[in-house]
Amino acid sequence: MILDLHTHSVKSDDGRAKVENYCQWIRSKNLPIDGLVLTEHRQYDMDSDYSKLASKFDLIILKASEVETEYGHVLVYGVSPDLTRAFDFASINLPLEMVVETSSQHGAVAVPCHPGRKRVGMFAHTEELGVPKGVRIVEIYNGGSRDNEDQIAITNAKEFGYLGIGGSDSHIVSHVGRCGTKFANKISDMNDLVEALRSEEFEAVSFKN
Amino acid sequence: MATRITISKIEDVEFGANLPAFEPDTSLAIVKTFATLIGWDGARFRDHEAARKEGLAGAMVPGVLSQGYLVAMIHQWAPVAEIKTIDTVFRAPVIADEPHFITGVVTDINEDEGLVEIDLTVANEKGETRVFGTASVSLPA
Repeated sequence: MILDLHTHSVKSDDGRAKVENYCQWIRSKNLPIDGLVLTEHRQYDMDSDYSKLASKFDLIILKASEVETEYGHVLVYGVSPDLTRAFDFASINLPLEMVVETSSQHGAVAVPCHPGRKRVGMFAHTEELGVPKGVRIVEIYNGGSRDNEDQIAITNAKEFGYLGIGGSDSHIVSHVGRCGTKFANKISDMNDLVEALRSEEFEAVSFKN
Repeated sequence: MATRITISKIEDVEFGANLPAFEPDTSLAIVKTFATLIGWDGARFRDHEAARKEGLAGAMVPGVLSQGYLVAMIHQWAPVAEIKTIDTVFRAPVIADEPHFITGVVTDINEDEGLVEIDLTVANEKGETRVFGTASVSLPA
């Protein structure tokens, strides 16, 4: 199955998409994805319950976060209430290694996203700050990439031995599903997703062209 | 002469429908004229070389002009539409003299309130998103 692992809804400050419209769009356009993960900026959305929408549209809808570190932005899958208390999700300068390690300690997985991007991507900082410890996975396909950002991500991921995921990084409805991640096994909930990421049985896919 | 089909009633709008493609005139001459009109005399809107010295890829189209292109596109599709909100996120500069393309798609229809939500994307020739946003427009029943 294929999930878009990087999307934003109106819950993010720059997100303009309602989750119901994402679902309508995926189904009306027959997009080849089975669901999406909402990765709202600098927060974990504890309140929203998308189970009815998921059921109505027969889609997997999961919640995660996108936090900000000195190396750029990082997706965190498997966020628990304890993890939200372990560091300040709203901070714009978290230490990446701490985010990776703390997430792992709390049963979550941290994945630097759009790492080939200037300023907010990990590989823009590795020369100056060094290669961060603990990173296993990076996002190699991002639907919002410009120039050669995806290629920088792919080349560096290969060099450092990272696995790659894909996500559209959609902020508006019609951008969902541009990239995704293909899993060998069925993903029904966040536990399944975290387990699949840890088991390393996945592959980034791009539908951009 | 080809007749352009336009939308005049909300009943004619379909979820997922594409607005007619729109290629804005991003020529430096237009950008300079617009910058003069609104009193923006910064060199970055007038001269490619000066803009490059500021670290840009070339002279840039002011954001308000990009918003104007979006409004023009919506009115080309539905001349009677009343634009309630237009909300843009500027991801990267729109560079003058480079071809850009605007796409719009209907992503929500509220017939009770007569409102239509449209996704808007300004992309360059490589298909890279420079500006995206949404508009909420009112259409008669």
